[in-house]
Amino acid sequence: MEYAIETLSLTKVFSDWWGRDKVCAVSDLSLGIRYNEVFGLLGPNGSGKTTTLKMLLGLLYPTKGKAIVLGGDSTDPKINARIGFLPEESYLYRYLTARETLDFYGRLFSLPGKVRKMRIETLLDMVGLKAVANRPVGTFSKGMARRIGLAQALINDPDLLILDEPTSGLDPIGTRQIKDLIIELARRGKTVLLCSHLLADVEDVCDRIAILYGGQIQSEGRVKELLEQTGKRQITTGAISDAAVERIKQIVEDEQQDCVVTAPMDKLETFFIRAVMTAEQQAQPTSGAVGATQLGGFLTSEMPVESILDKLVSTSVSQHAPRTEPAATEQIRAIETSETKPDEELLSKLTTPANPAEPEPVVKAGPVELSPETSGQQEQTARSILDQLTGRSTPQDHNEKPTDQSEGDFGNE
Amino acid sequence: MNSVWAVAVNTIKQALRIKIAAVFIILLAVLLPVMGFSMVGDGTLKGKLQTFVSYGLSLTSLLLCLLTIVVSVYSLANDIQQRQIYTVITKPIRRFQLLCGKLLGVILLSAALLVLFSAVIYGITVFIPTFSDAPEAEHVQAKNEFFTARAGLMPAEVDVTQEVLDTYNKLEKSGQFEELFRGLSRKQIIAQLTSRKKLEKRAAAVGRDLVWEFNNVRPMDPNQAMFIRFKYDVSVNPPDLQVYGRWAAGDIRQVRYGVKFETPIYDFARRDLIRTFHEIEVPADCVAKDGYLSVGFLNVPLNNTVVIFPLEDGLEVLYKADTFTANFIRAVLLIFLRLIFLAVLGTLASTFLSFPVAILLCLVIFSTANFSGFVIESFDFLSKDLSKVYSYTIRPVIQLLPQFDKANPTKFLVAGRLLGWSLLAKVAALMICIKAVLLSLLAVLIFSHREIAKITV
Repeated sequence: MEYAIETLSLTKVFSDWWGRDKVCAVSDLSLGIRYNEVFGLLGPNGSGKTTTLKMLLGLLYPTKGKAIVLGGDSTDPKINARIGFLPEESYLYRYLTARETLDFYGRLFSLPGKVRKMRIETLLDMVGLKAVANRPVGTFSKGMARRIGLAQALINDPDLLILDEPTSGLDPIGTRQIKDLIIELARRGKTVLLCSHLLADVEDVCDRIAILYGGQIQSEGRVKELLEQTGKRQITTGAISDAAVERIKQIVEDEQQDCVVTAPMDKLETFFIRAVMTAEQQAQPTSGAVGATQLGGFLTSEMPVESILDKLVSTSVSQHAPRTEPAATEQIRAIETSETKPDEELLSKLTTPANPAEPEPVVKAGPVELSPETSGQQEQTARSILDQLTGRSTPQDHNEKPTDQSEGDFGNE
Repeated sequence: MNSVWAVAVNTIKQALRIKIAAVFIILLAVLLPVMGFSMVGDGTLKGKLQTFVSYGLSLTSLLLCLLTIVVSVYSLANDIQQRQIYTVITKPIRRFQLLCGKLLGVILLSAALLVLFSAVIYGITVFIPTFSDAPEAEHVQAKNEFFTARAGLMPAEVDVTQEVLDTYNKLEKSGQFEELFRGLSRKQIIAQLTSRKKLEKRAAAVGRDLVWEFNNVRPMDPNQAMFIRFKYDVSVNPPDLQVYGRWAAGDIRQVRYGVKFETPIYDFARRDLIRTFHEIEVPADCVAKDGYLSVGFLNVPLNNTVVIFPLEDGLEVLYKADTFTANFIRAVLLIFLRLIFLAVLGTLASTFLSFPVAILLCLVIFSTANFSGFVIESFDFLSKDLSKVYSYTIRPVIQLLPQFDKANPTKFLVAGRLLGWSLLAKVAALMICIKAVLLSLLAVLIFSHREIAKITV
């Protein structure tokens, strides 16, 4: 099976009460989204993005054509047990608390009690709502509700994640987290379909995009290929001397090209996140979401046995609970924009047992039933992923990374 | 099953937390005890009890019916309108399972509240006599006529067809038709003659007697009392509006066949007001072993008038067939059947209608169900002229309506009448097994095929 999602000339025409065709929301849409791909569906308001998603999920029936999701019909419980869906707004039961909400969705998946409880705690940690877990979600701000919506979509450890405007209503930290999450999930073998009109978000995370207009695809392809300016080059360096700059200019002029030298600017996003992290480190009180960025550790397909995994990760996560990670965003961005494949590097690093740079001995208390070898390795993997994502890596880690020199890293260390 | 249960629990939480249920619970919690202490009825202890049970149970039934309608409609309609259903239906739960879950939640909630409030009513009812300073006679009356579940036996109707035909032929031969029944059709004449003949069988001329025979009389305990309940009608009003009568109750076959008396025969001489109900208390040991009982009435010559026992309720034998508690439980179960039906109805309505419209539809059906006899009769009457069209279109639809008024639980409790399991089973079979199942199939059919999402472009 090649595609996780395949649509065959999918068409949706909304007709009025008399059966007359009124609006053609999606017209003859043929998409193929491969496994382990982050696919972005872009388009202006009313271009048919959400309608397409609803047809994929069986919330709307196509007028014509067919949608195949994970090799079958998405209304089949066997198939939709493997799908996570975040609708365009967080439609939650206002009277349930955050924890009850997740429990409810967990029960819909018939998750056994233990697994459910662990996942709920892990997810609450991940979306930073543990402190308000017993408040009704009706009292949450839009962004907080969004976080619960996201947690809800992840509770079944889905193979396919369908996100409709995932970052709408979120603060920059939340946006960053979601983007990191998407990248990480893709790295772990999940397929992600997201639709958005916030182009910056899409650009950061998607492998491939399709631009919809009037229910038809206007353009489709790999993000890098679509955006790369082949006629230009960019070099980013450390704070080198003026003399060195002059020498470089000389070299460029020798090649008969223009050369512009500026000091790189921090992105406002980076700056904002740093400011909030500082405040959090000073433990200033807030009633809102906190910026915990640990990933739900169970969201992986790298490990064979789910329950062992849940046990393992829930231990490590809960023991890592309160902390701040100012370097996180830089690291992740480095991964996604660098030319070299950091994923492979990371993986090879993860699979090497006994990395001396790992500082946390507490985790060792976690797994009980595992043999020493496998447990060591899994622990290693889980911890490293968490560290990687949460930016807790030690200086040694940094030095090992070739991504430090990549163009995307503006190096604020 | 796990997911069905999750939906059910969520539905209950919803009803409780958004305080729909709270309104009804508070109303009942306040009103029931107040009613228990303030109701007087006709001044007697029995009257007080009757009024309380009647009003208390009717109020509980009404409020819980409304609650069931509101919750069952709100739960699904609101999910669709507020779109929470997007995240629910995309999980591994089939649509019919979602409906089952909602229905289960509503039914469990109503059942719990019904049990709670009927227990309150039962408790208050049982304790009212304890706190009452009514005279001993009233306590006995309450015990005999209220805290009981009496079965009633009517005399079997006499077949008069042949006699009517004979009379008709005779009259036809003698040529009296023109004089007696001017311008009436044969059918109408027969009908008139039949009712006249039937009444004749229930009338005792001066100095004559009437004997009614009953089979299958099964009192719970031969040492208890049973009752002959009757109402006199007369051809000429006696001056003091009273009728003298000799009554006898027992196994008359012993007299006829001259065998040894195994069961006693009791007789009473009474004087009673006409056109009101009276009860004669008879020890239940007069019933023969095979459940046979005969009741005799002699129109004493002193009366000077023909005494008639009206056809529909002129004479009845009542005996205690079950306890008040068992009867009360069955009455509550009868209410529960209504609630189940309404839950199904509400769920069905919410599968294709928005909240306000669905509520309106359910309320219309609910109130129609409370006057179903009247509704059916008036439709039958109004559509006499288009009978074919009517009987194939509107009639089946009306027949699908539940008929709450036909089996009104308080009617039984107030009169201390037995509400038998057979009646309960009949109602359950018709209202739940046929009508509610049909409606729920329809609901599943509609809900499985509709588009869940709204049209947004």
